[in-house]
This record gives sequence, C-alpha cells and structure tokens, in this order.
Amino acid sequence: MITKRTSLKIVALGAVSAAALAMGGLAPAFAQTKELKIGFVGVTSGPAAAWGTSNVRSMQTRADWLNEQGGVKIGNDTYKITVVTFDDQKDPRRAIAGMEKMAQEGIRYVVGPNVDDGAAAVRPVAESKGIIYFPYAFPKSLYEKPASNAVLGMVANYQSAPEIYKFLKEKKGVKKIAFVAANESDPLSQRDGGVAAAKALGLEVVAANDTYQNDTRDFTPVLTPIVRLKPDLLVLSGVAPGNAPLLIRAARELGYQGLISAETAQDATVLQEGAGALANGFISVGGASTPEIRSKTMDEFIQRYTKKFGEYNDESNTKVYALDYIIETLKANPAAIDNVEEYKKTMDTFTAPNPYVKEGHPLKYVGTTSFGQKRQVSVPMVVTEFKDGKFETLFVGSVD
Amino acid sequence: MMKARNAIALAASLVLLLVAIPFGIQASGRADLYYTLTSVALLSIISAGVWLTFYIGRINIGQGAYALMGGYVSAVLVTRYGFSFWLTLPLAGLFCAAASVLIGLPILRLRGVYFAMVTLVLTEVARLLALALPITNGAKGIVSIPLPGAVRIFGLTLIPDFATLENPRLAFYIMAVIAMVLCFVGMYRLVNSRIGHLCQSLQQNEELASSIGVDIARLRVIAYAISSFLGGFGGAIFASITQSIYPSSFTVADSVNFMLNCFLGGLSYVFGPILGTFVLYFGWDILYSFGDFQLLIFSIILIALMLVLPNGLFSLRLSRSRGEVTQ
Amino acid sequence: MEQVVVNGLYLGAQYALIALGLTLIFALMNVLNFAHGQMYVLGGFVTYTIYGQMKLPFVLALVCSGLTLAVVGAFCEKFLFRPVIRRSKRDESTMLLAAAIAFLLDAVILLLFGEKQRGVPKIINGVFLSDTIVMPYDRIVVGVVAIVMIATFVLYMQYSKTGRAMRALAQDRVAAQLMGVNVERYSMIGFALGAMLAGVVGGLLVTITGISSGIGGPISIKAFMMVMIGGAGVVGGAIAGGFILGMMESVGLTVLREFGDITYLVIFVCLMVFLSIRPNGLMGKPWG
Repeated sequence: MITKRTSLKIVALGAVSAAALAMGGLAPAFAQTKELKIGFVGVTSGPAAAWGTSNVRSMQTRADWLNEQGGVKIGNDTYKITVVTFDDQKDPRRAIAGMEKMAQEGIRYVVGPNVDDGAAAVRPVAESKGIIYFPYAFPKSLYEKPASNAVLGMVANYQSAPEIYKFLKEKKGVKKIAFVAANESDPLSQRDGGVAAAKALGLEVVAANDTYQNDTRDFTPVLTPIVRLKPDLLVLSGVAPGNAPLLIRAARELGYQGLISAETAQDATVLQEGAGALANGFISVGGASTPEIRSKTMDEFIQRYTKKFGEYNDESNTKVYALDYIIETLKANPAAIDNVEEYKKTMDTFTAPNPYVKEGHPLKYVGTTSFGQKRQVSVPMVVTEFKDGKFETLFVGSVD
Repeated sequence: MMKARNAIALAASLVLLLVAIPFGIQASGRADLYYTLTSVALLSIISAGVWLTFYIGRINIGQGAYALMGGYVSAVLVTRYGFSFWLTLPLAGLFCAAASVLIGLPILRLRGVYFAMVTLVLTEVARLLALALPITNGAKGIVSIPLPGAVRIFGLTLIPDFATLENPRLAFYIMAVIAMVLCFVGMYRLVNSRIGHLCQSLQQNEELASSIGVDIARLRVIAYAISSFLGGFGGAIFASITQSIYPSSFTVADSVNFMLNCFLGGLSYVFGPILGTFVLYFGWDILYSFGDFQLLIFSIILIALMLVLPNGLFSLRLSRSRGEVTQ
Repeated sequence: MEQVVVNGLYLGAQYALIALGLTLIFALMNVLNFAHGQMYVLGGFVTYTIYGQMKLPFVLALVCSGLTLAVVGAFCEKFLFRPVIRRSKRDESTMLLAAAIAFLLDAVILLLFGEKQRGVPKIINGVFLSDTIVMPYDRIVVGVVAIVMIATFVLYMQYSKTGRAMRALAQDRVAAQLMGVNVERYSMIGFALGAMLAGVVGGLLVTITGISSGIGGPISIKAFMMVMIGGAGVVGGAIAGGFILGMMESVGLTVLREFGDITYLVIFVCLMVFLSIRPNGLMGKPWG
C-alpha cells in the first residue's frame, strides 16, 4: 500500500530528477540569456507619487527597449533586464523592508529611495547586504566616507545653486534673493544649501525663513509678504513639481516682476497647465532635457515612454540615467555583476559615451569635490528657461 | 484551570515566535522576513497603545506623535549624551508617558471626533516641533545612530553588542518579539484587572461611571499614559533599527495606520492589534506583485472585510472566547 | 495689511465650502468622512477632463462634477455605510470604512488620471489692482461663487422640505423617524449632497489651484480642522471654522514669517488649546 509519505517521496524524487534533466539539457541555452535584476525602492503612491513614478517608468521603458534589442551583453553572457519595483509609500520603515526584499532576491543594484529619510534608513541594509543604491536625496553623509554604497542619481542643489545664482548675478543683474520652501526635511535642507551659496556669492538674502505646508493649494498668503520685499530672484527650494506652477502663478498674480528659479527637475506640461504664460522665464535644472542638446536616442526614449505610459514626464530626463550607468559599469567590469566591491573599483576609472546627448558629457562618476569620493553619476547640468510650454537651454554646466 | 491554560498558551506562542519561526526562516532562506516580522511586532506594540485608548472610548489618531517623540528621545540620548540604548528604551517610554499626562489632562475631556481630531493635529505638531527644536537637528534629522551596545553585569554578557553580531536582524527580531509578548501579556492582565473593568465602564458610559464613584479623569490619564509609553517605546526601537530619525519618520499616515490596525483586528479583542497589524502589513506586501493595482485591490479587500466583518477579524471566532472583552 | 485680510477672506470662502459637505454628512450620520478630500479631488478631475481636455463650457463641467459625486456619495451611503452602521458594534467602525473608501478613491484617481499635477485654462484673465490690494479676477469670481453657494445651501437647509427633514434628522434621529421622516431616504440624500458639495468645490478650485491625485488626504485633514473649530455637525460652525482658519493662515504667515516654520505649529497648538477650553468647538453638538 502506498502511504501518503511514500507517494510524497516519489513525487519529490521525480521532481528532482526532472529538474536535473532540465538543467542538463537546457544549460547551454541558459548560459546565453540570463536575467539581470535591477531594483527600485521608492515612492509610487500618495502625494509624492510623481517622484518615484517617473523613476520606475524610465527604468521600465529603457529595460523593455534593451530587451527588445536582444538584451545587453555583459562579459560573455547576454542578459535580459528585469526591473523589480517596491513602493515604500515614502515611509522609511517600508523602504528598509524594500531593501531587504531586494537583497533577498539577490539584487545588487537598486535605484532610489526618493527622499532623505528613506535614503538614510536603507543605508545600514545596503551596506551589510552589499547593495549599491542610487538615491535621489542630497544629504552629504550618504556619500561621504565612511559611507560607500550610495551613488547620488542627480545633481545636488548645493552643486547647481552656486552656478545658477552666479549666472543670474552676472547676466541678469540679480542682487536681492528670496527663498521659500516647504516645511519638510528635503526642501528645508536644500534651502539652507541655497542660502549658503547665495551668501558666498555676495547676494543679499532678503527672505530665508518663509515656509509652507507641502499640501498648500493656495500660495497667495505665503508669497504676499515676500513679494513686498521685491527680490530680484525668488528661489523655490526643493519644490515639488506639482507645487511649482501654483507658486509661480501666485507670485506673478501678486505682481512679482523678478526672476523665479528652482534647483529641482520640473515638468513642462505641468508648468504649462498650471501657470500658462505666467511660467515663462522660470528657471530650473534638467538632465538631457532640451531639444538643443538631446540625441536621437533620447528622442526615441521619449517616444517609447509616451507610447508605453501615455504621457512623458520631463523629470525622466534626469532619471533615465541611473539604469544606463548600472548597465554600462557592469559592461566595463563584468565581475561586478554580483560583487559590488568590483563595482566600486570600476567607478573610479569608468567612462562611457553618453547616449542621451548629442556630444560630450560622457558617463562617469563624479562627486570628488562635494563628497571626497566618486559617488555621484555625472548628468549634464542643463539650466533651462521655460518658454511657451517648452524648456530652452540657458547654459550647460557639469559637476566634478 | 484558567491560569494553566493561559500559561500553556503563552509558552506555545513563545515557542512559535522564538523557535519555530526563526527555524522556518533559516530553512527557507527568507532572511528578509526577520525585518518584516520585527516591524509587525513593533507596530503592533505601538498599535496596542491605540487599542488601549479605544478601550476607554477614545479614537486616538495621535500615536505617531509619541512614536516620533520616543524615537527622538532615544536618538538624542544615545548620540548626544552617550547613553546606552537599553537605558534609553524605558526613558523614551517614560518621557512620552509624562508628556502624555500633560497633554492628556486637557484633551482627554474631549470625546468622539473632537478627541480624534485633536490627536490627529498632535501628530502634525510633533513633526513641526521636531523640525523647529534645536536639539532634534531639525530638517537634517539624526543619522548614523549606533546599534544597541552590549549589556554586562559583573562581566557577564547579558545582551551582546548588536554591531558585533553576525545577524543583527535576528537580534532585533528576538528583542521585538519578546517586547511584544511582554506588552500583550501586560495588556491582557490590565484588561482583566479591576482597572481594566473600570476602563470599560468609561467606554460605555462616563457619566454613569463617574456617578458611582469612579475617578474617571485619573483613569483616563493613566490609560493614555500607558498608551503613549508603548508608542514611545516602539518608536525608540525603530529609531535604533533604522539607525536614523527624521521629523517625517512618523507621520499622520502612520497614526492612521495604527488606528486601522486596531480596527481591523477588532476593538473588542486584546490581541486584535497583533492580528490587524500582521494582516495589514503583509496584505500590502503580498499585493505588491499587482503593481499599479496594488492600492486598488488592497482598498477593495479592506472595504469587503468591513462589510463582512464590521467588528474586526477576531469576530470570526464564533464563540466568545477568552481574548474578547465582553461589551 | 488689506491684502492679508482679502487673502484670508478668499481662503476662508473656499475652506468654508469644503467644510460644509463634511459637516453635513457628520450631522446626519455621525460619520467622519475620511474620503471627503478624495471626493474633492475626483470632482476636480471631472472638471479637468470636461473643461480642460474636452473644451466644453466650465459650467457644464461643474454640473458634471457635482452629479458624479452625488452618485458616488449615494452609492457609498446605500451600499457601504448603511450595512456597516447596521451591523457594527461600535460607531467608530464607520471611520475605518471611510478610510478604506479614501484609499479606494485614491487608487482609482491615480489609475485614471495619473500622478501629475493638472491645471485648466483660467476662466477669466486679468488682475484687479488698487493701491493696497492685488486680486486676480478669477479669484474674485470663485470667491463670490463660493459665497453664493454657501448662502444657497444655508437657505436650502433652512426652508426646503428636504432641508427641514435633514435638520430634524441631525437633531434627533429617533424622533425624526417617529415624526414620519424617511430616515434612510434622507440619509442617502444628505450623503449625496455632502459628496456633491465636495465635488463642486473641487471643480471650482481646479481653475485656481489645479488638481493632483495625492492631495485628497491633506484636504480631508484641513476640512476636519475647520469643522472642529466651528463645531462638528453644525452648518454655521463649518462656515465660521473655514473663515477662521483662512484668516489665521493668512495673518499667521505674514506676522510669523520671520520665525521660520512655526506658523502652522502655532495654528495647531492654538487649535488644541482652544478645543481643550471649548470641547465642542464654537457651536458644536456634543458627541454621543
């Protein structure tokens, strides 16, 4: 009589032998196309959904595109890219769970988190499990020694602010500068960085304490006293893409005549819908954002993104880069595929052509000046001016 | 007889939590579960505090404030004054309890939605205070908090230094689970004690309770202080696990979640918060494979649960068994 | 200073309108509708789609927003709140249900309309300028419309048959039932009306502040605060609460700006102290 136990044994034996057969028979085929999993841990729901969503969609668009071309060749193997995403709901404790999950799946390279507290919270996990992560958060402690696993995925505002203010001081005669920020960690830290940069340039800071709740819908009360001070430049520190048009519109309707700028990436459609012609002249920073500098590849990327998700998001001009950096670095040193120490070694010397701009701005790791080690991706710092629904290039800078 | 049954239940749950689960995790290789289970244990401790305020008939959406406060107390004491983490744990709880007495004396007079709203505002006040006070390091938060150190008495190592452990996650798991068991044993005792019965009379009719000589003001403050103690205690452990704390570490969304945990488990069941937290936390994680539809499916299930089991998951148990507090 | 007062009045008018629907639902059913902000957002997106995308008249868009939300509200009451209220042991269960509905609406809105901030063309261009006051015409229009709508609502509640029935219901459910008021019917109408108000405000304000999928929760919380200031479940209280909060924000942000991010801290602490002294707000009905 076959008991339950013996039948189980038989099934198990059968399964094992079948698996062994399969492995033996198919092994050569597997060796040719492997799977490379790249993670994303960030916020894709709730009020800040826009930040992570543009990340995820950039990664998915790019991964699909590469896979369509047959995958990427790293060393002797060809890999299909799989993007594994985790929504941390902007909660640092969830972000840790996400990072643990990535480690569990054997993922070595993770894009995100999107905010300061999440990035700080996942640091212990990333370091103990050997994961390199690409936060979109600016605290220097993440990138300075002894930290070594975080790579800043964009240009930090303490890097772009001095250049923008200098440009505006010299070219547009800006003397008085005012800051306004949401009363949350990221914007306030960025405001402090901006104020320091402005003071270093000898600008007169007329307002540095004004804040608003991030869920403010009507900014007239916030801006009324600032507009009175008649600054030449109003800086929207760390402004969320959704709030930028509201702030611009409120300032202009109050009769503000000076310049307005932000050091975070913005979206042209959002600006156009929310503020229309009032947003003309608004200065912000983007990646391969303007038609003057972007390549055919970038145009195709935008097309594919639009086709896949219905609408492009200009924040992806910067966010498109992280995945390419990971893949190109792995190509440069295939040993890094499951060893982040190899990756770190490669970072010091790595360089590759930039597919997204017409010329120059090679992919390389930077950050020596700001962090004392190369822990930042080099993204062209394109300072743009908004005009009739489009961004136009003011100047292009870079970070070292 | 009752006592013996309780002792067996306690022993069984300890074996399950401290032996069976770690063994299962080792066997399956799912090491990431240590952290998620630690989270669930700690969140259920914090939610237990909310449950206790429900027990005296108050809707508490302010637990995030105390969790944040506890986290900051522990972080500041550890990083600025070099306290041992283990000492800051009770201190964080006591600090929150003391603060809650001050806050609770005036606001506990409020009832229903008014109390709910004031506590909701309290969470936001805590966040803004954390941003504004100099000692909290403002917007930049406190980062790089060291892991819990060793505890030695007469050269005997009671608790090893977490930083030297091969798997600090397991250590945190054990700590969280033991804390959870202690917390809920305490809650069970409390609810079945004289104070517990008195608290319940508050839930039903405060005027009546007052008229038969119950000092309702004192009772309310005591319950609220215990509740806040649990919030601060849990928050302090979280600060240590994440090794960082920011003003946004506990927000209104967290406060609402703590409340939902209690609701979901069932407000009439002491162990409701554990079940509620577990289901809400893992429910979210399991749905993660649905991608964009995660929140949609999650909320539909939540609504369906409310329609089918409006008195919480524990009401599934047909008989009124021991966990339930009679209405 | 005149500018600050005008800002406060304008802000107050829109806040009051947001709070009205919430307080109506609370008055009738003792339900704190966590999904109020999400209903506002949904109304905003309906107007955005019809007026912004399909380029149809604004008034039509506004009517559609109101109707959509009325249907959503009636549905929620009949199929969700009513069974839960009937079967639950404790009143608070409705709060969980309301929160779950808020999640659901959040998810639906995110899936349908995306994560981006949206805006529509201005309804009227131009800015009113005087020596001391700057006010765009569209804000003036929206402010006036808001005040007219508040007045209409108050009159409706005061003199129409439905309004009287709902007031009776709010005062004493059992007595109203005994006097022959169809409780179920008017609960549903009241809920639909409350939701409709949220939708119409959302549609109205989309022309000024745009709309985005994530702001439902914060709007709900703001509406709760206004309702608490005025007193839960009282129409006059919601209006007063809206204007008080609007004025406090406007004045606070001007007077306290030098001290950094403490304006809202001060407002919140004031609110807590105020409620400790007056546990039922300015004119609220006591709980229970």
